[in-house]
Amino acid sequence: MENVFKQLFYWMPFLFGIGFIAPLIAQTMNLWHWQAPFGLSNIGFGLIIGGAWGLQTVIRGRWV
Amino acid sequence: MLEDPKLDHGAIKAPVEPALYEPALDTGGTPALPLGRSDGLDRHTRRDLRKEEIEIARQFHGGRMWPYAVAAFGCFALWVSFFPLAIMGYLNLPLACLISCVIATGGYVTSHEAMHSNIARKGEKLRWLNEAVGAVSTIPIVFPFSMARIMHLEHHYHCNDPLKDPDYTDEAPNWWMAIYKTWYNRQPGVDGSIHHYKRILLEMGTPEAKRALKETMLLQLFFMAVLFTMSWNGYAIEAALLWWLPRHVGLSYIRFYLSWAPHHPREGKTGRYENTNLFKSKLGHVMSMGMQYHIIHHMYPGIPNHRTKHAYYAMRHILEARGVDVSPLPAVKGN
Repeated sequence: MENVFKQLFYWMPFLFGIGFIAPLIAQTMNLWHWQAPFGLSNIGFGLIIGGAWGLQTVIRGRWV
Repeated sequence: MLEDPKLDHGAIKAPVEPALYEPALDTGGTPALPLGRSDGLDRHTRRDLRKEEIEIARQFHGGRMWPYAVAAFGCFALWVSFFPLAIMGYLNLPLACLISCVIATGGYVTSHEAMHSNIARKGEKLRWLNEAVGAVSTIPIVFPFSMARIMHLEHHYHCNDPLKDPDYTDEAPNWWMAIYKTWYNRQPGVDGSIHHYKRILLEMGTPEAKRALKETMLLQLFFMAVLFTMSWNGYAIEAALLWWLPRHVGLSYIRFYLSWAPHHPREGKTGRYENTNLFKSKLGHVMSMGMQYHIIHHMYPGIPNHRTKHAYYAMRHILEARGVDVSPLPAVKGN
């Protein structure tokens, strides 16, 4: 059980990226009437940015 | 090296080893045992000053503590009410965000009183209130009371000790680096802030420490669950402005004003009268949450936050005599 939680917190930045940053990006774009590039939906765009950002944070240990 | 002129140098074959103690070489430099900074007072004067200090401090202990409880529960209820109101669209979000930042930051002050059992001590009738105030106050910054109390008391026991003071990681050479560090220390791969606390608790291994770790984990998971659920149901902006952003603003403000400002520079300053600074805050007494007089809190944690200012002016002459730099906060006429 302890290992499960350790893994969960290890991957938390990635989960945060797709669980919070992605919809936040999409909803902010919707609010300001912005369109995602390359024909992507706003949530698809948010998932790419949020997921990639979270993943690099897991690897580097820093958000920026 | 000192040499005896009567000795025949040619007759000495064995290498000369330095004596363990050479009185002639003793220039009165650094002592073998650190004796601490001298305040130039003899022990009788120090004892008399301490007696007077205790006598003054006694007058400022206790007092009305119910406003802390009212503030803690009132602010918490207000903050919780923002969530359904925001979802129903009855809320001015920027204003609610600002108020949430104030609640997240100010919550530490009420929790801090509970950490020192200033609302009610163990065995007293209102002990439950002390614990409840502590528990609700730091939920907005996702910092459980059990962890906050253990870490804060460790900070008091080992103030400015680079290895034992849990808040030592907040040290920075100047104010803008200190603000940057409040953010940097929260990065997932950095051993600062709450990550540092978790490691210390793990090393402590006591039942209280284990409980604090468990509660931290649960509160962090709850925070994430709320953010994710709200976000994927169309309320990501509301979640960001009511909890995520206020938490970060609150944590940075607290780290800066309650940890860096009153203890900088930390290096080597572990004595009772030197581990905390007096400083003049540009944001004033209320906005700095009374931290200008934090030295009084470190000397007498039982004096509530709102009385440290008055206690300082009452014992300012003692602090001055003990070598504290009191120039940033001059005496007020009549004191």
